[in-house]
Amino acid sequence: MTRRTDWNGIESAPLWIVMFLGAYLIVQLLVLHAWNAAGQVFSFQGTSGSASSLPVAAMAGVGLWLCLVVLRSFPPGAPLRSAWMLMTLAAAAAAGSGVLMQLLGTDWPLNPLAWTGHATPGLMERMQRFALIAGGPCRLALLAAAMLGVLRILRKFGFWVRPCAADRAVFGIFCLFTLCRFCLAGAASLAGSRIGFEEWVSLARLPILCVLFLEAMLLRQAVGRMGNGPIARGWLALVWGILLTGAGEAALWVIPQYPRSLPMAAFAALIQLPMAAAFALVPACQIAAQRQAIKPAGSRPEDLATGVPALAR
Amino acid sequence: MHPRSAALIAFCDAEAGADRSRRIARHLLKCEKCRGQLRRIRGEKDELAAGAAAAAVDSRQDLAGVLSAVAAWREGRAGGAEAELKSRLREQVQTYFGSPAILVVERPGIPAEELLGRAGEMFEVFLGPEAADAVRDDVLRELDWAETCR
Repeated sequence: MTRRTDWNGIESAPLWIVMFLGAYLIVQLLVLHAWNAAGQVFSFQGTSGSASSLPVAAMAGVGLWLCLVVLRSFPPGAPLRSAWMLMTLAAAAAAGSGVLMQLLGTDWPLNPLAWTGHATPGLMERMQRFALIAGGPCRLALLAAAMLGVLRILRKFGFWVRPCAADRAVFGIFCLFTLCRFCLAGAASLAGSRIGFEEWVSLARLPILCVLFLEAMLLRQAVGRMGNGPIARGWLALVWGILLTGAGEAALWVIPQYPRSLPMAAFAALIQLPMAAAFALVPACQIAAQRQAIKPAGSRPEDLATGVPALAR
Repeated sequence: MHPRSAALIAFCDAEAGADRSRRIARHLLKCEKCRGQLRRIRGEKDELAAGAAAAAVDSRQDLAGVLSAVAAWREGRAGGAEAELKSRLREQVQTYFGSPAILVVERPGIPAEELLGRAGEMFEVFLGPEAADAVRDDVLRELDWAETCR
């Protein structure tokens, strides 16, 4: 009953996502290396502001499409239906935020609003703000609710293990980071400096990320008890997505603190694309498992014997 | 909707027909009450068979030998089908979840029917009903599970 993996059809989505991510990371790292080797004489911030973030939005779009495919396979009343519904909404928030942030909310040439003359600075700022909220706290809250449902079902089936010391340490480190960020923001506010909208949204994300980290640690243990099948791999991708979101949040806060000028847009895409890919892998692995099961009999190598008369067998 | 007792008896005798047997088998995966009823029917059948065998022993020793040989053959056949079913279920759980998941689903001495029920429920929850049905059909393919009830 072992089946070969092919590159055709939607069931090969995990392979394509990993391949695309690998290729993108290699190219991006080579560009960064070339930029550094050339003595940072040219600015690629100017050439790749939105362009470097477009693959992130595209990956979020792919994730949304895959989530919709999975959601259709769970009829109303199915135990995991609500969890997949919340995950689809989270994916929609990420994709919508990406489109608003990278396409409609910018003044680059591919923005369709710019062609029709509707791209006023006020509208673009509103879109950017809405995108920040939808793609940040809203999306993370939806994910946290979805994970709660998944954990409850895993517990029902006996895939439940208490978090180990390493899990608690990771969770504790992120809680400390959150506390530091709030203390710094409070100190800055007391000193009279104004906290910007982006900073507020970033701070709002952190407590939800703490909850997500705790859920991710529990999910990691549950998945460890499950094994390494495609279903387990899908949920493990969710754990990695959350861990990368937390790590990205910390990295994107730490990097600008250094005085040396770095191409932040490229760095942000370098961090955000693996994150988006990890979230897209969750439904992709689920689809791979489902298609593997539904694959018609006779298309499998072990079914060759079905064509042979019973007596001959 | 629960199958009638007559349908369960026919299923147990492998006289329900392929489609009906499949429907009943699917229902049995989900319904503990019907599984219990099926066990009771099977128990009664075994008692009747044992009674018949005892009567035969009283009347003819040769026939008793034949009956016990037939019973032993049937038991061996049922045991073989049960072992095959368990092995297939383990393989499917391992394929879709992973090896450690088998330990969670299967406890020592679990009957094949119960294992089928537990694994079936797990597949239905995590893979969705359509894929779970396909896995179940794959597990029961060319394994005349109703035959084992005889």
